Amino acid sequence: MPLTIISLIKQVPLPSEMRMGKDGLMDRTKAKSIINIDCSFGLEAGLQLKNKHPDAKLIVCSMGPPSFKVSLKKAIAMGYDEAYLLSDRKLGGSDTYATGLALSLMLKHLGFSKDSMEPFVIVAGRQTSDGDTAHVPSQVAENLHIPQATFLETAESDGTHIVVKRIIEGGYRIMRLPMPCVLSLTTTGIHPRRPSLYGAVKARSAEVTVFGVDELGIPQDKVGVSGSPTIVVRVANIVSDRALVKMSKGLDAKALVEGMVKDIAAGKNCVEKKEKKVGRKKERPDYPEVDFRNGYRGILTWAEIVRGKIIRPSLELLTPARELASALGNETKVTTLLIGNDVDGLATTLIEHGSDEVIVVNDKRLEEFLVMPFATIFAGVIGDLKPEIALFPATTAGRELAPRISVKTHGGVTADCTGLEIGEYIDRKNKQIFKPILESHRPTYGESKLATILGFVCPQISTARAGTFAVPERREGRGGIISQRRVDLDEEDLKVEIIETVRGEAGLQSLFEADIIVSGGRSAGEIDNLSLVKELVQALRRQGVRAEWAVSRPLVDGGYAEYARQIGQTGKTVRPKVYIAVAISGAIQHVAGMKESEMIVAIDHNSKASIFSHSDFGIVGEYEDILPELIEKVDSGFTFGIEAEKSR
Amino acid sequence: MQKNTIVTDVFIVGAGPSGLAAAIHLADKFKEKGEERRILLIEKGSTVGAHILSGAVIKPEVFKDLLSDEEFNKLPFDSEIISDKTVKLSENGALTLPFHPPYMNNMGNRIALLGRICKYLASIAEKKGVEIYTGFSASEVLYEDNKVVGVKTIDTGVDRHGNKLKNFQEGTSVRANIVIFAEGTCGSLTKTLIRRFNLDSGRNPQIYSLAIKELWSVPEGNIKAGRVFHTFGYPLNSNEEFGGGFIYGLKGNKAAIGLVVGLDFVDPAFDIHAAMQVWKQHPKVSGFIEGGRVLECGAKTLPEGGYLAIPKLYGDNFMIVGDSGGFVAMPALKGVHLAVASGMCAAKAAALALGKNDTSGSQLAYYEELVQGGRIRDELYPVRNFRQSFTGGMVSGTLKFGVQLVTGGSLPILGNLTTEPDNKTLKKTDEYTGKPFKERFAGKLEFDKKLTLDKVTAVFYSKANHDEEQIVHLVINDKETFTRINMREYGTPCQYFCPAEVYEVHVDREGRESLRIHAENCLHCKTCDIKSPLDGITWMTPYGGDGPEYVNM
Repeated sequence: MPLTIISLIKQVPLPSEMRMGKDGLMDRTKAKSIINIDCSFGLEAGLQLKNKHPDAKLIVCSMGPPSFKVSLKKAIAMGYDEAYLLSDRKLGGSDTYATGLALSLMLKHLGFSKDSMEPFVIVAGRQTSDGDTAHVPSQVAENLHIPQATFLETAESDGTHIVVKRIIEGGYRIMRLPMPCVLSLTTTGIHPRRPSLYGAVKARSAEVTVFGVDELGIPQDKVGVSGSPTIVVRVANIVSDRALVKMSKGLDAKALVEGMVKDIAAGKNCVEKKEKKVGRKKERPDYPEVDFRNGYRGILTWAEIVRGKIIRPSLELLTPARELASALGNETKVTTLLIGNDVDGLATTLIEHGSDEVIVVNDKRLEEFLVMPFATIFAGVIGDLKPEIALFPATTAGRELAPRISVKTHGGVTADCTGLEIGEYIDRKNKQIFKPILESHRPTYGESKLATILGFVCPQISTARAGTFAVPERREGRGGIISQRRVDLDEEDLKVEIIETVRGEAGLQSLFEADIIVSGGRSAGEIDNLSLVKELVQALRRQGVRAEWAVSRPLVDGGYAEYARQIGQTGKTVRPKVYIAVAISGAIQHVAGMKESEMIVAIDHNSKASIFSHSDFGIVGEYEDILPELIEKVDSGFTFGIEAEKSR
Repeated sequence: MQKNTIVTDVFIVGAGPSGLAAAIHLADKFKEKGEERRILLIEKGSTVGAHILSGAVIKPEVFKDLLSDEEFNKLPFDSEIISDKTVKLSENGALTLPFHPPYMNNMGNRIALLGRICKYLASIAEKKGVEIYTGFSASEVLYEDNKVVGVKTIDTGVDRHGNKLKNFQEGTSVRANIVIFAEGTCGSLTKTLIRRFNLDSGRNPQIYSLAIKELWSVPEGNIKAGRVFHTFGYPLNSNEEFGGGFIYGLKGNKAAIGLVVGLDFVDPAFDIHAAMQVWKQHPKVSGFIEGGRVLECGAKTLPEGGYLAIPKLYGDNFMIVGDSGGFVAMPALKGVHLAVASGMCAAKAAALALGKNDTSGSQLAYYEELVQGGRIRDELYPVRNFRQSFTGGMVSGTLKFGVQLVTGGSLPILGNLTTEPDNKTLKKTDEYTGKPFKERFAGKLEFDKKLTLDKVTAVFYSKANHDEEQIVHLVINDKETFTRINMREYGTPCQYFCPAEVYEVHVDREGRESLRIHAENCLHCKTCDIKSPLDGITWMTPYGGDGPEYVNM
């Protein structure tokens, strides 16, 4: 039976051209449009799957205005066979929940569902640059009741199953999924191909099939604003927390290094604190207050377990949970769901950190996180407990679990929040005030804006960004209830196999202890096999500094260094006093692993490299010229302001 | 259709004025004759206009031949010329000439942003059924029995060494009855055709100028739309450098400014970009832009050899039009109208040939007959010796040109003047006796990034970019001779004449020199291909869509 490969794409404004309109919403009309970058990696992953399945049909789908046809045609030019667009004014204002539903209804209309006789695979991008939620792939999967794997670097077919490499915190996991399934790709995989002229000629005459809401029989109240459980109420500018880099440019390596040494001595640029503009507050009208919670009470959180331990972001969650509980008053309880194998011993820890009640689910098949059984268990607990708020850590697991649950509970999700508080919503149209309501604040548009999002269906679900909230203080002997919950796992939920899990925190503890890390990018490996990077580390060590070398991902892929030295989202996350990035362009995945370093120094030949926007000091130049000069400086006593170990 | 192969009646390479004119005129001809034929055009810029750069003062009449009255009236010219002055600059002074040098009166002409004109022409061509594909570059001419049968687009998805990556896409072979090469200045495929078929035998070698252009937003009152100034003299040395500057006032308080310098200069360290910045510091020039800000920068060469340097323009199944053919009228330095005219001549010849089902060279010779029988020859022939007269500098050139004005272009005793190609005019470092460039403009070569720009900043304002995952498109033809001759004997002139800092001489700690190529900066001006001594560098097409992203150049 021939395979169908379905790619879901979104057209987005070119991120660099986005401007905020006077109304506070993004003005997308003036910006040039492109296929969302993550989606184009999804398109390529689909094309790669065809290598194993030469008979496969490739179709591409999107939802949006007719102008999205340009991107659908580009997908055809890249090698797709058919294109479908769900386009209807009634869809305007759809949130991720409504989008996931509408897309899955279109797919069902095209004959793709759990019960389809013919196998299919859906590939999508991890998230969009104008939304950053990463919800839709999970929501489509749940709506179709099929397995999923998100945040993938690669996806290959073994003939009957899809074997994927999923990025997880500090490592990756190899999984094997049956078909049909939904996959979402990150931008670290195979780069999207350029369309051929042959493809472009084909695309020119290709038809994009456009569906309207009525043709698909989607009820009006399920789409657009009325079908969206969440709304964006505010968008504010965010001022970057890393000040502008001090750059040295020129052709003389010696002068460049001298310049940087002087810059470092003078200190880094500081962020100018801009005073917040206080908007004119509208008077609070005298409308009646509405409690929309419909009997839902309390806060539910998830304790994510990795290798038998509660991960820190799950403990951090208890801080906003407690704050929200006290803001809600009336003895609002915080309940935590703990799922794993033989995890009873961890329940007390949660209570000591602030949970009032812990529900424990033990099953040896649940030792490792699997989105489908976990979502089913959560839905069951939510059905019984009826919490008004559910909070998840915004880890790779939390970010695929929460949207999957939200489909089961017919509510929305707010992704990756950095602020959570109880507020109210003044509905001026219907002259009523919703109170209390969860206000979720989240950065968006490449961290440049802070959006405030409200949900009107309980539980109101949010995922909270790791590292944003402090872990609440542990109070030994704090009282709480621990209960066991028995579940009957559905075999249908257990069809995804975990083949291997690799985490980078293993080995090389010296990387976590180093004061200075010198990290090399691809050309540092290709050109001199990292010898200058290693020499710089040696020079620093001769000065008595705890220094270690590391690499970006391509060097591990290329066999220049072992995986334990990889810094980034799929490797280690480090916070040294000084991080020196050598010939590293600054892909977001790498930056995620080093951006908390106290001082960041970047050396790269491309002045436009994004590493410079994450750095305090930069030199534009070839590292082969700069490093010898820098090593000489270190040999004469320069240590980036780090005191030698022996003198401590 | 066969995978990766496309078949068409006519294939046009390049969406500049000549290629678009050919496409439009052909579509009209086919319609006239009631023939259904396919015209396919590709452009390496990401959009039509992205690689277009011109002054531009345009003679509008030719568009009346190409377009209907209605279409003509909608041509997006910027403004009509309201005044036209020629200014002689000296280091500290300026003298406005009380008259126009011959052939240089621009009254009645229009100022235009050529990219916009091309976008408009493309929209008309599309309406007439021409298929235009942007972001595709042609990398190879396809031959059968030593005849052109088509063109292949570049393979994408390879690494720097040409190894296939997982996203490899084979280029598309386009088979056409007729291929029209409208690649613009120093076309990379045209160059291979000229070599293969000796199309330049018996002609003067083509010679070029490099134009550096900047588009500025200027304070109200600096310059009125429609005012045109041309400068000559400073900063160029009238004895060995040919060229001058231009300042055009545009609508909306904008100004297009630029310096054009003949690539027959002799100083191996001559830096045209730097000369442009020096020119901008002259009070006569800076007055127009002070208080403003730069919007866009770019650079492009233009062929100046004139009538005697035009190669044979056709062969079996192919024709060459526009700047690739060298249709630029000196001394007025105008080529757009001739590019359009050449495209139309080629279209007429193509339509006739296809109608007769004979696209052989002897049939397509009709194209050259049309060129010889019409406005192109009328304009170019009388000034056929103009540019060559100036190879010895402006002073002797002015004298020789004066004689030509009287004689209708011929030079008694001397006859037709020949020239040396631009890659032979440089002097070796130790043979160059003039003042070194850096001393010549001492004190004026520090750029403040406001009024004056360094090369990297100018590249930023061109929005040039190239995928790093591809074969470097600037090829050193012979590493040994390049190191020995270009680098040691001539002091690596490409590091100076390249306006985009593509070439860097790196000196390591042991004092060894090596050449580094920053291909990502390339503005596609092709100066390196033209000017490097001994054909040192070949400019190849990079991936389609790479290169500058001009909007209004």
